[in-house]
Amino acid sequence: MKPFANSNARDLQNAVQLAQNARQDGRTASFVGGGSDLLALVKERIAAPDVLVNLKTIKGLDQVKPANEGVSIGGLITLDILSRHDLIRRQYTVLAEAAETVATPQIRNVGTLAGNVCQRPWCWYFRNGFPCYKNGGNTCFSFGGENQFHAIFGGGPSYIVHPSDTAVALVALDAKFRIVGPSGERVIPAADFFALPQQNPARENVLAADEALAEVQVPAPRAGTRSTYHKIMDREAWTHAVVSAAMMLEMDKQVCRSARVVLGGVAPIPWRLPQVEQMLAGQRITDTLAAKAAEAALEGAKPLAKNAYKVPLTKGVVRRTLLELAARG
Amino acid sequence: MAKLKSKKKISRRKFLQGTGAALAVATAAPGVGAQNTATDAIPRTAIRVTVNGTQRRIEVEDRWTLVELLRDHFGLTGTKIGCDRGECGACTVLLDGKPIYSCSNLAVWADGRSVQTVEGLTQNGRLDALQQSFIEHDGPQCGFCTSGQLMSAKGLLIRNPRPTADEIRAGMTGNLCRCSNYNHYVEAVLAAAKGGSR
Amino acid sequence: MRQQQNTSIAPLKTVGHATPRIDAIERVTGKATYTNDIRLPGMLYARILRSPHPHARIRRIDVSKALALPGVKTILTHENCQVVWGAGGISGGLQYNDDIKKITKHRRYVFNNPVRFVGDPVAAVAAVNRHVADEALGLIQVDYEVLSFILEPEEALKPDAVKIWPEGNLSLNAQNQAQPMSTRRGNIEEGFRTSDLVFEDRYTTAFVHNAQMEPRSCVANWDGDKLTLYTPTQGISNCRSDTARDLGIPPEKVQIICQYMGGGFGNKNQNQDADLITAMLAKEAGAPVKLEFTRKDDFIGVHGRWPTVQYYKVGVSRDGVLKGIQLRGYSGMGGYRKNTGTIGGIDIYQCPHIDSVVYPVYTNKTVSGNFRGPEYPQGFYGIESMMDDVAYKLKMDPVEFILKNMTRKSRDEVPYTNYSLEECIRRGAETFEWKKRWRPQPGSDPGPVKRGAGVAFMAFRSALGRSNAVIRLDAKGHYTVFVGVTDVGAGAKTTMAMIAAEALGVPVSKIEVVWGDTDRCPYSVGESGSRTTIQTGYAVVQAAEALKRQIAEKGLPTGDNVLIGSASPNPTLEGKVRAAFGAHFVEVQVDTELGHVRVLKYLAVHDSGRIMNPLTARSQIKGGATMGIGMALHENLLYDRRNGQPLTAGFYGARLMTHRDAPEIEVIFIESDDGYGPYGAKSIGESSKVPAVAAVANAVFNAIGRRMKDLPITRDKILGALA
Ligand SMILES: Cc1cc2nc3c(=O)[nH]c(=O)nc-3n(C[C@H](O)[C@H](O)[C@H](O)COP(=O)(O)OP(=O)(O)OC[C@H]3O[C@@H](n4cnc5c(N)ncnc54)[C@H](O)[C@@H]3O)c2cc1C
Ligand code: FES
Ligand code: FES
Repeated sequence: MKPFANSNARDLQNAVQLAQNARQDGRTASFVGGGSDLLALVKERIAAPDVLVNLKTIKGLDQVKPANEGVSIGGLITLDILSRHDLIRRQYTVLAEAAETVATPQIRNVGTLAGNVCQRPWCWYFRNGFPCYKNGGNTCFSFGGENQFHAIFGGGPSYIVHPSDTAVALVALDAKFRIVGPSGERVIPAADFFALPQQNPARENVLAADEALAEVQVPAPRAGTRSTYHKIMDREAWTHAVVSAAMMLEMDKQVCRSARVVLGGVAPIPWRLPQVEQMLAGQRITDTLAAKAAEAALEGAKPLAKNAYKVPLTKGVVRRTLLELAARG
Repeated sequence: MAKLKSKKKISRRKFLQGTGAALAVATAAPGVGAQNTATDAIPRTAIRVTVNGTQRRIEVEDRWTLVELLRDHFGLTGTKIGCDRGECGACTVLLDGKPIYSCSNLAVWADGRSVQTVEGLTQNGRLDALQQSFIEHDGPQCGFCTSGQLMSAKGLLIRNPRPTADEIRAGMTGNLCRCSNYNHYVEAVLAAAKGGSR
Repeated sequence: MRQQQNTSIAPLKTVGHATPRIDAIERVTGKATYTNDIRLPGMLYARILRSPHPHARIRRIDVSKALALPGVKTILTHENCQVVWGAGGISGGLQYNDDIKKITKHRRYVFNNPVRFVGDPVAAVAAVNRHVADEALGLIQVDYEVLSFILEPEEALKPDAVKIWPEGNLSLNAQNQAQPMSTRRGNIEEGFRTSDLVFEDRYTTAFVHNAQMEPRSCVANWDGDKLTLYTPTQGISNCRSDTARDLGIPPEKVQIICQYMGGGFGNKNQNQDADLITAMLAKEAGAPVKLEFTRKDDFIGVHGRWPTVQYYKVGVSRDGVLKGIQLRGYSGMGGYRKNTGTIGGIDIYQCPHIDSVVYPVYTNKTVSGNFRGPEYPQGFYGIESMMDDVAYKLKMDPVEFILKNMTRKSRDEVPYTNYSLEECIRRGAETFEWKKRWRPQPGSDPGPVKRGAGVAFMAFRSALGRSNAVIRLDAKGHYTVFVGVTDVGAGAKTTMAMIAAEALGVPVSKIEVVWGDTDRCPYSVGESGSRTTIQTGYAVVQAAEALKRQIAEKGLPTGDNVLIGSASPNPTLEGKVRAAFGAHFVEVQVDTELGHVRVLKYLAVHDSGRIMNPLTARSQIKGGATMGIGMALHENLLYDRRNGQPLTAGFYGARLMTHRDAPEIEVIFIESDDGYGPYGAKSIGESSKVPAVAAVANAVFNAIGRRMKDLPITRDKILGALA
């Protein structure tokens, strides 16, 4: 690896300061959580930071704390602890399940929630160092190339899919992200955090230079809500989602009062399906409705040359997940 | 042997520009250039880390991975490197009792923490129950993934002393075995867990 | 665990009993020394710069900046290092033959110009540590003239295709002739004329990488004019003679050491370019050098299994008897030919008229070579899918079809030393409950989740051959066995100790094995072709007999005296053929809505002669079968057709089987003793992968009623076929 310095951050302000100091010296800085993504990028010469600002040394940023009408989750919590956390498992099941599907125990033991949400794309062109949008170039090689795993929604000019499992769950949970940066703090809805390539083809989110994702605030789901994460992988584990679905159903006996349905693996951001959510609200979840919802979910999909299979696959995932979740006691 | 003749310099950037459009469409040679010279002062940090029960102090380069520290500087070559990217598990060690990929963690981050490697499994010359069971069930074929499999299994049993076969598979998913002796590894861990950890 | 053992052969005292490996403690304590664990004083670290282009001419290389980097010691490129690796690009299997090396028109240098695939070595750097070496790679400036390239073998044979070699893209044979490989029996036209039905189809298989867990590395040290190479090789003896030949030094000046190695499955045969490069770097630098491959280096720089395109035409009578089989095949060899490129499998059928023509073709992909049963898993996938399909079209149960058409007690009138194929199939079908699991109407299960069963069978060479062994007995009663084997994972060392113990009538604990060092061990075949047990094991038996004769003559040694028995047998089969047999039965579940395949049940029945060590033999079968499932369902080194770049080079990209993917593999051994080999041992290691791919593919067909004709059988293809 190229040489770089590791700077341990004392707190968030200090972290931002360390990054800014580096920049003022004409050096580049990256925040690092578990490092499970960043180090691979440095080894491949895709990222070239001179300073790694280590966030793991910040105390207290790895906790789940009850907050007004919900929980606040520190961005530095490991995916392992998150996925085993009692309260999260019970009330925010979709998040625990999503975290549990990430990679392997070894990665979950170091990988952080913030790092998972901010990980770079796993498009094989990007990871192999092609001069694509994500690598500072001005083309997307997947378009007209090998795009089996690329976007069927929201693509263009880049067609990556967002790689994070927890991101999909967090959008479904209507979480808010607390961001700390050089100009202070801001809190934005998860859905506004992720950015389509039309907005900025080089990045996947709205973080500005030296801004860090500090915390995730999740409102408590309403009574009667159940949620789940269903992930399709190319082998039984250790790969990103080919397609995934995060679903929350607020149920009143047999009737669905409200729903949140978000897809992963299909778009450059977690892909919310408002039309499906509306279709489900106030209805009994029957086989017919599930099938209709699945059809509606894929309306407007624009598959590329080699990923048309994602259309029937996603339909299947939506239909089944819906039926399974509705049937859960 | 022929001597190296000095050649006219072609800067990398110039080359990339020169092939411009062709590069994007026809050839697309990957290689995002991030270059540095070794003349830059290389940042180093003094750390204290407990390895297999012994506290050690050492000055590390900030860029060293934990596996580099263990293998090259502590001579603990039982931990292997299969991919150096978090894609195989050969480098698995326990960090504060939890399995991690030592190729994907920096040595500086182990400051103040405790690392256990395969060399630390044997206590007072007695094999760990897992090691014994790996032998009896012929876990290792080529053996290159074995240290990692052992450390994952160890981490699993610390947390869950009586796992089912499926829990073992889930707990050890992060360890590839290309010899594909998965059945035997699972049997070995099951048997070791039944026998109880010594 | 249901493991069965057939005990129809006379039991022995040591051989045949489950025995833990004699080096098991080293393997579970981290003490086993693999190549990369070696560290010599003053050692430098080396890295290789590889071509980023699939096909290009190097106009200029400027290494001055890299050489100026503090800590860089030596850089090699095609300009200052012209070592020819092996015999270059012809006649794959024979590439280490002196005569061919002299005449070949297709020399493969360790650094080539032009470069012929993404990954072809361009330069190597030795520096004080790996970080500096790595940085130096980025400072080497190469000016390439980019040439057009070609990836697919069929396209490479078109007249307007770019020529990868001046003579064209059909690889040359040992006489420098551009000729396909052909096998003929009878008259194929006659075969089709006498057929009631003739079927034609096309199957393709992908490039899959050996992906052994240990990435290649090598440590070289020169002491005067003597070279010591620590290198992961499957054959130290061949590695020594090849290295000596390629470097132009006498073999006795080369010592090869390989104590432990982390798998190879055929891509660590003989010597490798890495060995030559490390030796040259060390020579130039005047210091020991350790070369380390990254995983990506290993995936694109070391060979994998050749991809194939297979066109079959099969004629049968109405009652399902084969009349004629025709194959026109294309194998993609990469930029250099490192193996034959044949497509195996047709000869396991009994058929009067056969016509097989296979074209080994140069492409601008990573080189193809040995990988567990080199020409068979892909060939068997093609032919056994084809035959499975024919069986269904004739409304026959595939098991019945196989029993009717498989190779009989003779192959081409040459008798087998023993024949158990029928027993393998019948026993397997019964244990597996074939009739219950197989769907007469494929794809007929109601609902989206469907089950199905598939079968495939195999016969795999178990040839005899030359090898050596030496056994020494000292006055304390310790026996030391010297054999030139390495241990790729199959447990050769333990097997040798068991065979010696058996032959000498002593317990295994009395035997020490000295292995993996050409200065200490006699010649042995490499661990390739599943030959070690048969050939070197037989030499051990003979050496033990020689030692026993000496003991009878001179009495047991006393004091400082020792007795030595040695043997260099080269047994032959006297007009017979010898094969291991087997049949695999697989049940899969396919979720047709999600395109997901899961193996529910897997049974492997094998006759590998007498099983020396059931413990390690089972590992071999399970490993091969599991790899076969991976090849059937996941693995593929995918290239972008527009730019010739590999996209999935690595464990994540190749989607190797994980703990969660691997099903329980049930193993049945049908043991036999044909009087050849040590106590009747036949080949195991490779044969277990041979039928696995076909069996899985056939099971998928039975479940969904769609024939999957292109490997791997991934989700997109399944959903595509069902759309
Ligand atoms: C083989 C493999 C398979 C994987 N499979 C999956 C999968 O199936 N699903 C999945 O979701 N992930 C998967 N991952 C990704 C893995 O989960 C991530 O590597 C990990 O979650 C990232 O967490 P980290 O803390 O280690 O991130 P880091 O490596 O520390 O950081 C990742 C990125 O985020 C930035 N960053 C980190 N923290 C912050 C912060 N607080 N604020 C702003 N930016 C920050 C870093 O600069 C870096 O760019 C896989 C990874 C590997 C290697
Ligand atoms: S070497 Fe660390 S995961 Fe492969
Ligand atoms: S034993 Fe060889 S990789 Fe696992």
